[in-house]
Order: sequence, then C-alpha cells, then structure tokens
Amino acid sequence: MSYEVLDHTADVKFRVRGRTLADAFAEAARAICETMTPNCTPAGVERRIEVESDDPGSLLADFLSEILYLSDAGSIAFCSFEVEIHGNRLTALCRGEEFRREKHGGGAEIKGISYSGLSIYREGESYVLEIIADV
Amino acid sequence: MGDGIKKITDLEWEVPVGFTPGMRVPGRFFLSESLRKNLEPGAIQQLANVATMPGIVKNALAMPDIHWGYGFPIGGVAAFDISTGVISPGGVGFDINCGVRLLATPLKVPDLQNRRELVERLYQAVPTGVGAKADLRLSGRELEEMMLAGARWAVEHGYGVPGDIARCEEQGSMKGADTASVSQKARQRGFPQSGTLGSGNHFLEIQEVKEIYDQKAATLFGVSRGQVAVMIHCGSRGLGHQVCTDHLRNLEAATKKYGIKLPDRQLACAPITSPEGKAYFGGMAAAANYAWANRQMITDLTRKVLVKLYGIKYEQMPLVYDVAHNVAKMEVHRVDGKEMQVCVHRKGATRAFGPGSPDLPPEFAETGQPVIIPGSMGTPSFLLRGTAVAMEKTFGSTCHGAGRVTSRTQAKKDVRGKDIREQLAREGIIVRAPNEASIAEEAPQVYKPSEEVVRVVDALGISRLVAKLVPLGVIKG
Repeated sequence: MSYEVLDHTADVKFRVRGRTLADAFAEAARAICETMTPNCTPAGVERRIEVESDDPGSLLADFLSEILYLSDAGSIAFCSFEVEIHGNRLTALCRGEEFRREKHGGGAEIKGISYSGLSIYREGESYVLEIIADV
Repeated sequence: MGDGIKKITDLEWEVPVGFTPGMRVPGRFFLSESLRKNLEPGAIQQLANVATMPGIVKNALAMPDIHWGYGFPIGGVAAFDISTGVISPGGVGFDINCGVRLLATPLKVPDLQNRRELVERLYQAVPTGVGAKADLRLSGRELEEMMLAGARWAVEHGYGVPGDIARCEEQGSMKGADTASVSQKARQRGFPQSGTLGSGNHFLEIQEVKEIYDQKAATLFGVSRGQVAVMIHCGSRGLGHQVCTDHLRNLEAATKKYGIKLPDRQLACAPITSPEGKAYFGGMAAAANYAWANRQMITDLTRKVLVKLYGIKYEQMPLVYDVAHNVAKMEVHRVDGKEMQVCVHRKGATRAFGPGSPDLPPEFAETGQPVIIPGSMGTPSFLLRGTAVAMEKTFGSTCHGAGRVTSRTQAKKDVRGKDIREQLAREGIIVRAPNEASIAEEAPQVYKPSEEVVRVVDALGISRLVAKLVPLGVIKG
C-alpha cells in the first residue's frame, strides 16, 4: 500500500495504491488523515464505520466523508484502518487517538471529497484510486 | 489557450457553444494577456461544463482569478432561471459562505509599536487551525437561532454593535434558511466551532490603508490613508462542509431522478423548485448564516484585543463591509431588457452590486456596494466598489482574490516556511501560524499577483478600485 500527493493548483490530489480494493480504501483514509492530523499513533480510540452506496466511486467518497465527520465532530486523529468491502457495502474499523494540538496540529483541514477527478482503476495487480480533496 | 476560444476584447474571451457537448450557452471569461499564461485547460473545461446545466441564463462566467477547482471553476459565476433552472452545491463549494470582512480602526501605523505582541494576542484569542474549538459552548437552541439569524444573532447576543448588521451582505442574515435541512452531523460539527478561523487560506490580517484611488467612496466606506484595518477571511467551518457533503449525496440521486445529464458528477443538481433543490438551498442558507455569525464572533474577539492593548473604544472599530464569495442567492437581474428572477451561483466570486441596487443600504446608493478582495499572505488586499457594468455583464459579480498558480505540494518543495516568515519579517510583516509548512503553502509567490487581478476587473469596469491595503501582521491556521 502506498500513496502520493499529486500536483493540483487549488486543492489536494492523492493517488493511492493497494493490493485489494479494501487495502486501497484504507490507504486513502490514511492519506486524508495524515494530511489533516499528522503524527498520529493508534492509542485507544476506535470508531466503526458502515457505509452503503450506489457505486464504488460514491462508496469511496462516502467512506472518506464519514472519516472527516468523525474526526472533526469527535476531535480524533485517525491513522489505522481495517476495511472490508462486499459489493457496494463497506465496513471499517478506524483507530487513532484523541486530537491534541501540540501533537497533531498544523495540518490542513480537508473540507470535503470532490466527485470531480475521483477515479478507481486497476494497474497490473493493484487497485489505484485518485481523489481530489478540498482544503 | 485551448482550441476554439474566441477573443472578444483584450480582456474578454468566449468559450463557444460546442466546445464541449451539451453546452446551452457560451462561456465568457475575463483575463489579461499576463494572466493568460497561468490559465489551466481544466478550468476552461469546467467553465464549459457549467454551460451545459439546465436553465442557465446568458453565459457561464469566470472572473480573472479563474482557476481549476471542482464542479465550477474557482472564479465561476452562473445564473439559473428560478422556474426552469437548477441549483448545485458544485457552484458553491464545501465552504459555504466563505467570505471576507474589513474592520476599520482609529489607529495609525505609528500607534502599533508593539505589533508583535498584537499578533501574538490575536493568535491566542482567535482559535485557528485544525481541531480549533471556541470557548463558547452553544446550546441546541442557540445554534438553531444562529442558523436562522446569522450575524444578527451574534450582535443581539453581545458580539457586536447594531451598525455591524447593515454592513454585511444580506444584512448578515440570509432569508430562506431551513434548519430542518441541516443534519445532526452538521450541527455536531457546528457546536464547538463558532468563532474559529479554520486553516488553509483563511486568515486574520492587520493591515494599513496604503493608497486611496477613490476619495469619495473611501470616505463613505470609512477608510482613510494611513489607517490601520483588520481583514478577516473564513467561512462556515465543519457545519458548512457537512451541509455540502450531505446535500451533494442527495442531489446525486436527484440528478438521476430528474434525468439531468452532466459532464461532471460534482455538478450534481436539482431543479430549484424541486424538494431536493429547496432542501439544499435551505441548508446552504442556514450554513451561510452560521458563517456570518462566525465572522461576527471573530470580529468581537479582535475588537476586544485591540481595546485592551490600545485603550480604544469597541465602538471606534466599525465594520466597513462583509462579503460572501461562495454562495448561491435568489436575485433579480435585467436580462435582455427584462427583469428576471435568477439563482446566482458565485464560487470564488464576489457580489459587486452597483449604484441604486435595492439590496444595498441607502448610504451606498451612489457608490455601489463595498467589495473586499483579499490578497495572499504578504501581498496587498483591495477595497473596490460595485458598478452598473457588473449588473449588465456579470450578474453583479467580480473576482474574489488572487487565485493560486502553484499547488500546495509544489509550494512546499519550492520554498521553506522559515525563509518566507523571515523574508516577510524583513518587510515588516509578522506572521503567526501553527507551523512552517502552513506558511510555505500560502507563500506570496504561489498566488497570481493580486494587483493584476484587480487591475483587470477595474479596467473591465465590473468593479472600481477604492483603496489598497498592505499587510502588517497575519495570523493563520
């Protein structure tokens, strides 16, 4: 699993790779969270996410939007994700720690996941996701 | 420049129907030769995409700070017939009613001997950055009232003076807010964040009025050369982001339900008159009001710091004006000689209503409304005024800022935050931010020159220059 941050003038664009679709989704979540709340280590905070959407693109946007919500509303820095995907249904266990400004501050707030530029494709054996996030 | 773009005048360009399949009207954008070199093909494609949306009136428009966004280009303006047209969160953005206000003070630059202390105190007083929370804990009822009454709620609860309200677009309180269209998730995010600045390009800046271009308007707006002013740039925080996210999902389904064909999913929309369209408008207006209350509460925190540090009176710091630059509004415009009710989307564009517009307070009847264009960190900001030309050409709209030319990733490779901070300090500008990376991302050189953008809108006449303000100190998230 890996991710890169690509050039996008106004926003942030990620390209994420995973061995399976679920791995790629987990890595996308990590990319988003590292951008917002860096230096996180999993320490006692867990949240479970269940999402069902019409297609894989919406599932990705809905999953990441749910993380933005949980992180903002609950003051949580997330960094580890176990994701399972069955059809258009996703469950995820998200681990992290309580947000502390001294440790996790200074990141870029992600306002939303855009459908523009959202794509999911195969490259050899890997799944690749591209995501544009509004910062 | 992409194939098929037509030059209309030195500053005006057309994207003809047929540039992209399904365009209903031509696209129009405004740029000078020097700004053209930074124009991204993706931004023009996005402008053409907007022109495919049902009910669009006259032209899909983009201001000289046009750049590649999501859904609409940033700098995009489009009006839709309220009976046949659509409403779309892609024409507003996640940060509903992101906007700017300018606060006048009785201080002059020599009064700011302890400028570093001022910046530090403001940084301590105004919560900034990711995870920032306000001291105030709103009750459910208070949040509800705030979403309905906006800046008026804040003033009635002691966070301002009555004069502040008249000096806000929509009097700081947009009609049509429907709190039933704001989810519990959005409310949860809204409770702790009223009176917080956020991160990214949001800032609070101490400025000096450096030049006056239009003495009459400047006097009327309450600014004079050498005066110290404060500019506040922020939006509706997590509450607004969540309202956009929730309704985007609903409108995706509505797009299919109403058989609307779109070239970009982020333009998801519904007829303005449909239940889905009305729900989005109501939720968006509630979030816009939250943003006006938010800027009002930051204004209160700022005034209190200045009162304490300089012994001036709270009432000696009137609001010059407050503008929204990410919003959709129901407005009446003259189209082909006839009055027409339209829903104007402004995504990274500022309302610039001209003289005599009925929505403006009477004191601006002759000048048009004040228009505030923030520069980037370290570059000048501008005060302009709305014009009759804007009413004719751009549904009463102008640019909103400088517009980025370099990505955040590239900025961090090109420049070091520490160097920028030191360089700005040598120029007399004190920057306070949570870390060096956030300074690098917003370095002055990653933006188009703000002078050139406002020169173009002034030359076009879609707003006219009133004053130039230069930064003295900045706090950012």
